[in-house]
Amino acid sequence: MRIVRYLGLRLALLVPTLLGVVVLSFVLVRVLPGDPLAAFVTPSTTSEDIEKIRQRLGLDVSMWEQFTTYVGGLFRGDLGTSIQSGSPITTELSTRFGPTMELVVISVVISLLLALVLGVWSALRANRPEDHVIRVGSLVGTALPEFWLGLILIAVFYKTLHWFPAPSGRVDRGVDLTSITGAEGFDALLAGNLTALSSALAHLVLPVATIVIGISASLMRHVRASAIEILASPTWRTAQAHGVRRGALLRGYLLRGTAARLPTLVAIVLGNVLGGVVLVEYVFSWQGMGQWLLRGLLYRDYPVIQAGVLISAVVFAVAYLVADLVQALLDPRVKL
Amino acid sequence: MAPGVLTWTGAVLVAAVAILALAAPLLTSWGPEDIDPTAIRQGPSSEHLLGTDLNGMDVWSRLLHAARIDLGLAIISVAVAVAVGAAIGALTGYVGGWLDALVMRILEITQSFPTFILALAVAVVLGPGAVNLGIVVATVAVPSYARLVRTEVRTVRELGYVDAARTSGISNLAVLWRHVLPNSLTAVRVVAPLNVGWAMLALAGLSFLGFGVPVPQPEWGVMISEGTSDIVAGRWWTTVPPGLALVICVLGFSLLGEGLQERETRRRSR
Repeated sequence: MRIVRYLGLRLALLVPTLLGVVVLSFVLVRVLPGDPLAAFVTPSTTSEDIEKIRQRLGLDVSMWEQFTTYVGGLFRGDLGTSIQSGSPITTELSTRFGPTMELVVISVVISLLLALVLGVWSALRANRPEDHVIRVGSLVGTALPEFWLGLILIAVFYKTLHWFPAPSGRVDRGVDLTSITGAEGFDALLAGNLTALSSALAHLVLPVATIVIGISASLMRHVRASAIEILASPTWRTAQAHGVRRGALLRGYLLRGTAARLPTLVAIVLGNVLGGVVLVEYVFSWQGMGQWLLRGLLYRDYPVIQAGVLISAVVFAVAYLVADLVQALLDPRVKL
Repeated sequence: MAPGVLTWTGAVLVAAVAILALAAPLLTSWGPEDIDPTAIRQGPSSEHLLGTDLNGMDVWSRLLHAARIDLGLAIISVAVAVAVGAAIGALTGYVGGWLDALVMRILEITQSFPTFILALAVAVVLGPGAVNLGIVVATVAVPSYARLVRTEVRTVRELGYVDAARTSGISNLAVLWRHVLPNSLTAVRVVAPLNVGWAMLALAGLSFLGFGVPVPQPEWGVMISEGTSDIVAGRWWTTVPPGLALVICVLGFSLLGEGLQERETRRRSR
């Protein structure tokens, strides 16, 4: 019951922030230089034509009216209509959200496992050569620009070694797969289509690896730090002195203790992942939300930019909320 | 690893790049935007140490001159962000009340966007150009500094020596400037060098996407972007060097930050 009340409180607190996010994204978009109609202008368009298009898009009314229409639409689950394509934002989103979330979720899960194993191991071997190698490796990992790393991976593993498919598309052409969520790997799994699954996974490897290398490196540093803190704690020494078996000691004290701090860390790195995924999608021509947002920014497609920015903020906020809940479940000391 | 080793390695890496950047005109006879029409997309040679790019510009020269923009701009924008953030954080933390509440809500809202996406939107608003890019990076970094400093100011302002300073009759502003602020910058001192590395990656990333430094100017992100077709065709020299340069700089700043942090924890545990 407590958790429900806590959840309600947090959701209520989320409202003013999200309102601020809505206002800020609206204003930010309107102060963009350039006209969203520029793309419609051809030598034969008259000023009346332009006026008509402006009217159709609802851009002829005052800012305040535009804002109230926009917010009213949000409550009905209507995010507006893309100026460029003329189709509703929600329709476009449904094909864009899946591919991006597929990249993000898979990368974060792999990074977590990798960071947990390497971080704890490194802490147990603190100040030995293995530890130094891992620490330097993680520093290098956080220093790699993901757009550059992606290109290098493409050059090595696609162009030179031919291990993975070309960085275009998310399944091989000719693979028969009906889209359900837009996340091809997940769709293939749902359909039980093994050819499509292996093709989708092969396409996922390089972009996922690009994200994982940077994210797991920074997560690992935090894991190592908290594992070292636990190893130096009186609790650990007491348990050791009591002769608790090493396996139980590692699982019950060290892994559990470090894992309890992970949700918050994941929420923090998620901000980096959501930003970095824009670059990774660009490098791998991955038609997800990042590419969609970039196109929107390029063509001043107001509704697209608003929706893209808004959704990234919502995902971010929800992740923080989930992180706090999971943390409370993992760590009995945390009181909601 | 002793903190000294980390700090020094980092400092040496950063200093090496800074020296190369400053000495750029002495190390190459080509200007960073000079076009050699007889050499387009040519491999490394004695004439062009790191070959040429798709425009026939000398990669070695561009690499060196780019360091001025990448390193210089990152350091300046983080310095500006620290100054502005510290001012906001110190003022709101010291004064408190409705001003504090209002400013903190605004900062929270800007921080509820993933940083790079906010930077992208601000970059498009301001338009391309090196100066604007610096403003973008500084703007998105301000909230975190403001909050860091504010937290520390709120503890420091309750300490005995601050009370003593206040009762001795000097103005509030002087108390804030001379006694509170200098003692509220511990966290910022550690975070700032780490953040320069982040700023470099953000600058290069935005330029790579075409929202930062415009194309003919030498900048590592731009160079990588222009070399995209080259690397797939096996011409490594246009993309690999600028990427490595970025890695070296960011690594340098991470090592510096790590070293400073370790020194700080050791000092506190003593």
